[in-house]
Amino acid sequence: MLIRGLGLIGAPGFGADAWEGALRAGWRAPAPTAAGRAAYLVDFDAVPDKTLLRKLRRADKLSKMAVLAAAGALADAGLEPGAAGRVGLVLATALGPHVTTFEFLDGVLDYGDAAASPTAFSHSVHNAAASYVASSLGLQGPTLTVTRFSFAFQEALRLAGCWLAQGSCDHVLVGMAEQYGDVLGYLAAEKLGSAADGRIRPFACGGPGPVPGEGAVFLLLGGAAAGASGCRIDAVHIGCGAPPAGTADLLLTEADGLLPDASGYLPALNCGVPVAGYAPLAGSMLTGGAFTLAAGVLMLRRQVRFAAPVPDNPHALPVVAATAPARLATVHSLALDCGGDWAITCLRAG
Amino acid sequence: MGGAAALITGLGLISAAGGSLPATLASLERGERRAGPVTLFPTTLAVPVFEVPALPGADALPGQRTLALTLAALAEALAEARLGEAGSLRVGVCIGTTVASQLNDLQFYKRYRETGTAPLAAAERFLKGNLAQCVARRIGARGPALTVVNACSSGTDAVGVALAWLKGGLCDLVIAGGADELSHIPLCGFHSLGIVNPGLCAPFDRERKGLNLGEGAGLLVIETPESARRRGVAAELSVAGFGAQGDAYHLTAPSPDGVGLRAALRTALAEAAITPAEVAFVNAHGTGTHDNDLVEGTVLAELFGPAVKVLSTKGYTGHTLGAAGGIEAVLTAAALRAGWIPASAGFACRDEAIPLAPVTARTPVSGRYAVSTSLAFGGNNAALVIGREVAPC
Repeated sequence: MLIRGLGLIGAPGFGADAWEGALRAGWRAPAPTAAGRAAYLVDFDAVPDKTLLRKLRRADKLSKMAVLAAAGALADAGLEPGAAGRVGLVLATALGPHVTTFEFLDGVLDYGDAAASPTAFSHSVHNAAASYVASSLGLQGPTLTVTRFSFAFQEALRLAGCWLAQGSCDHVLVGMAEQYGDVLGYLAAEKLGSAADGRIRPFACGGPGPVPGEGAVFLLLGGAAAGASGCRIDAVHIGCGAPPAGTADLLLTEADGLLPDASGYLPALNCGVPVAGYAPLAGSMLTGGAFTLAAGVLMLRRQVRFAAPVPDNPHALPVVAATAPARLATVHSLALDCGGDWAITCLRAG
Repeated sequence: MGGAAALITGLGLISAAGGSLPATLASLERGERRAGPVTLFPTTLAVPVFEVPALPGADALPGQRTLALTLAALAEALAEARLGEAGSLRVGVCIGTTVASQLNDLQFYKRYRETGTAPLAAAERFLKGNLAQCVARRIGARGPALTVVNACSSGTDAVGVALAWLKGGLCDLVIAGGADELSHIPLCGFHSLGIVNPGLCAPFDRERKGLNLGEGAGLLVIETPESARRRGVAAELSVAGFGAQGDAYHLTAPSPDGVGLRAALRTALAEAAITPAEVAFVNAHGTGTHDNDLVEGTVLAELFGPAVKVLSTKGYTGHTLGAAGGIEAVLTAAALRAGWIPASAGFACRDEAIPLAPVTARTPVSGRYAVSTSLAFGGNNAALVIGREVAPC
């Protein structure tokens, strides 16, 4: 699958350029939330062109993030929505519009069963964000929202590969979107603790916990006939047991503090291949590996290795310590879940 | 079935109409409509719903009713498919839902809102309750697993995903369909939208006043011909085609011109390589809401002709949301196999704005293909073509 376009929005800002800027600038502390917890939050003031946001004035934050990221992917590919042929859409999310769901519950609790908000309800349906993407960008292809608590984005990529190979679509927009809310912050802190200094440590392989984030990432994928793109997804593997040893020029870890025991990463990260992880820039999200993958896309495009923003390295792993030009043909991104399964997304230049 | 990419080797169903597929078919044949007041949770809304009266395993899964419904349908589907543990098969799981994807435990949230803390049990159940992942763990499936959350087309879309996986070689066999429990939150939500019928739903009827919510699960075991042959399992049915298309129109209303549904149907028929005339009947989404039935009836009449045999089974099951596509795919397959469809419950008076009328009595059907449609919030439209093998002369 050729990666024709990359769009994203997260705490570092809007667009691939903002993400690259954050990767070059290094770690920044998260912002305090209204409830006093630390989180990496999206600020729509960072979006320079407010045209889409004005159209989305009734939408919830999750939908706005998804639309902006999807539109960014099309723009990055140099395609107007109508020029991309038959475009399918797969949005992966673990927690979906849970913030809007709680808003709807507020209405039920405050006003009773018969007087809850229809607007909040219609936005609390999981596929509302994908619906906004489709209607905002005029996409009438197959539109799917999928959920898992691990590897949802990777499974979405595999499905997109099927759609492209079977000719169901000319392009597929594959993305993730997650929104932060106070209930989520509470649950994360209660279940997993939190990194007291706000630093996610991808190479600690255990502790000190997550720092929740929010955002959306979309890739515009095309088949072999889609033309040159600079980067492709060779394969997405999902398996169980010990992940295979790295064979790429660079191995990315998607570790973000959400696994109570991340020691399973150690053997794979300690096989001589340079390793990096960028979750500390965007925050912890159950589908947040897409941000790490987006870093891989940019590194292959630019032929540069970005320094790991939080390089704390108690296990003496070969962590990329400085941003520098590099000859990169392949970058793999590794994720583990708490059930002993792993996922590897294989990126290749060209 | 010679050219079919995906054979159906097992069907499982549970709904208010019955605890199994045979029980459901018998109930439908008798024309029973087992709706009643809400008993599963306290509510001030006095509307009829379709609850499953006796759910096996529900006590063992407190707070996970959707999972219990799923497992009930799963057991029946696996038994027909003669499939126990996944073993060396590459088994995928794709299940549609709405309720099971949301942390919408009212008591948990109420406590958090009042005190800033709440017991984590509800959240723990939610985090362990992803349907596809749960089922995959239960049967030892090592293929792809996805929970589809495409609102009311989730179950149909899940079958479409299964077909894409099988054709793409990602697995040999897929458990696919949908499941949803009756939940307080969507009941309040649909009521807030003004589309819950205070009486029994009447799909396609001139006096239709909205939907009744229900619950249930419908699952299919779908596998490649090679897999069925290796396992020595005979198959009479297949998933012959699937199509999905978005309206890109509105968050909750279907496009009035039916553009997405029409395209989804054409895609599904093209994949099955059949003409509309080869379709024996259509199991319509048919919610009993004004807009859905008008758009759907118009598109079906345009594509299949006004005399096409059409029914909605929601008059027997209620609208089971994420489960609906799975339940209706199972019922479509079973009816095609049995050679009859039940009366479209609730229909009495022709709506002159809709250029077709559903069947009003048990009706024999013959032919090799049937269609099941789903329309959903978000402008999603999905269509399945189910095929039946013709016995050699």
